[in-house]
Amino acid sequence: MTGGADSPAWTDLAEGHEVSETFTIDDAAMAAFADLSGDRNPLHTDAAFARSRGFPDRVVYGGLILARVSRLLGMRLPGRDGLWAGVKMSFRQPLHPGEEAVLTGRVRHRSDAARLLTITLEVRCGDRLIASGSAESAWRGDA
Amino acid sequence: MTEQEIYDRLTPLFQDVLDNDDVVPTPELTARDVDEWDSLSHIRLVVAVEQDFGVSFAAAEIARLENVGQFVALIRSKLGA
Repeated sequence: MTGGADSPAWTDLAEGHEVSETFTIDDAAMAAFADLSGDRNPLHTDAAFARSRGFPDRVVYGGLILARVSRLLGMRLPGRDGLWAGVKMSFRQPLHPGEEAVLTGRVRHRSDAARLLTITLEVRCGDRLIASGSAESAWRGDA
Repeated sequence: MTEQEIYDRLTPLFQDVLDNDDVVPTPELTARDVDEWDSLSHIRLVVAVEQDFGVSFAAAEIARLENVGQFVALIRSKLGA
């Protein structure tokens, strides 16, 4: 049972191995995250307020970008046999609802001794770097 | 690289991984001496050393370590120092 999650072998996850996913955060996701988190900061919920603060539109929640990281790690990189163990992420430029973004994860370091992947993360929207950082995934599969 | 140079380089790595600025690696230091040194921190220490020193360890090499002094000896052997 994988629930649709990928299940690569440890040895397939070489340094440099890369996975990308395209995503768009829509109004429904914004509303659902506001309900889920309780974060109703008007920069995320009120376009007029966001414009008054110098943004062209509402700003996508950083938490929703991290939700896409969760999906990437849990479903594909490495998928079924990895347990998300840590993340460092800087949000560098705002992403707005309806914009298409690309999340890329790349294996930066694979420790055979520690069974831990260090994964470089990057979110881009066209030429804009939206977010960058790294995550750790502890391997729980076969050696 | 001398043993002291390895310890000097390990100090910020330990402090960063363990989120504890008071930790100073010494030969006798073990995980039991530092509250923040849990199993996940242990993994992170190994990875941080691999990345910082540009070396790779085998799981068996890590499993038999009993203190920081033995870890430093292992690092030295990997560096050929």
